[in-house]
Amino acid sequence: MNFLDALQISGSGMSSQSARMNVIATNLANAEATRTPEGGPYKRKEVIFGSVPFKEVLEGQNKSLISESKVMGVIEDTRAPQMKYDPGHPDADAQGYVALPNVNVIQEMVNMMLASRSYEANVTAVQTTKDMAMRALEIGK
Amino acid sequence: MIDRIASSLEIKSLPSLNAQEGKVSEAAGFGEMLSKSIREIDMLQKDADISIENLAAGENTDIHQTMIAMEKADIAMKLMIQIRNKVVGAYEEIMRMQV
Repeated sequence: MNFLDALQISGSGMSSQSARMNVIATNLANAEATRTPEGGPYKRKEVIFGSVPFKEVLEGQNKSLISESKVMGVIEDTRAPQMKYDPGHPDADAQGYVALPNVNVIQEMVNMMLASRSYEANVTAVQTTKDMAMRALEIGK
Repeated sequence: MIDRIASSLEIKSLPSLNAQEGKVSEAAGFGEMLSKSIREIDMLQKDADISIENLAAGENTDIHQTMIAMEKADIAMKLMIQIRNKVVGAYEEIMRMQV
């Protein structure tokens, strides 16, 4: 059914946004991590969203135009780490500088607001879809 | 019971209407259509059940996917109830008919 497809698509958007939220949480939690299993400071991560054709489209509709959201992958931010002068730090280099993660907390907060608002938008889309279906059922009453 | 009412209500004039359009369709009975949609709704409800179980067991961490599965089952169920009301209404209308 058409309405159910719309719900599915909104759900995919919500899944993408929660995946983005996971990455933002990782960035914030590791904003001051100077040691990682790969060595060096933590590197900021970012999600890449993709649009994939929706499989259960009804015949007669243009299949390529209806698509759901999907997280295509998580990439590492390649920007250089922030250098902070702190000679007492155990991870400081010979000049006394410590390489801190390239995470900007303010930027992460803005991304978090974006993720939250996008999620809300998808929830609203679900509610509207449901309202429309319920309105259609009221015709018979 | 709905099946039996439905099959007796099967529209006989439908094939001739389609023949005018140059289509020869096998008139799938209303009862058949109804049981197909009931199976579909049953499937949606089972999906919702599975996703609630997974959420409770901690396997599926996506709350919204469970909510959406529940909403789908809810909408389909409400549509089914409307169809049932209409069918029962038609049956009662026939039963009230003066002989």
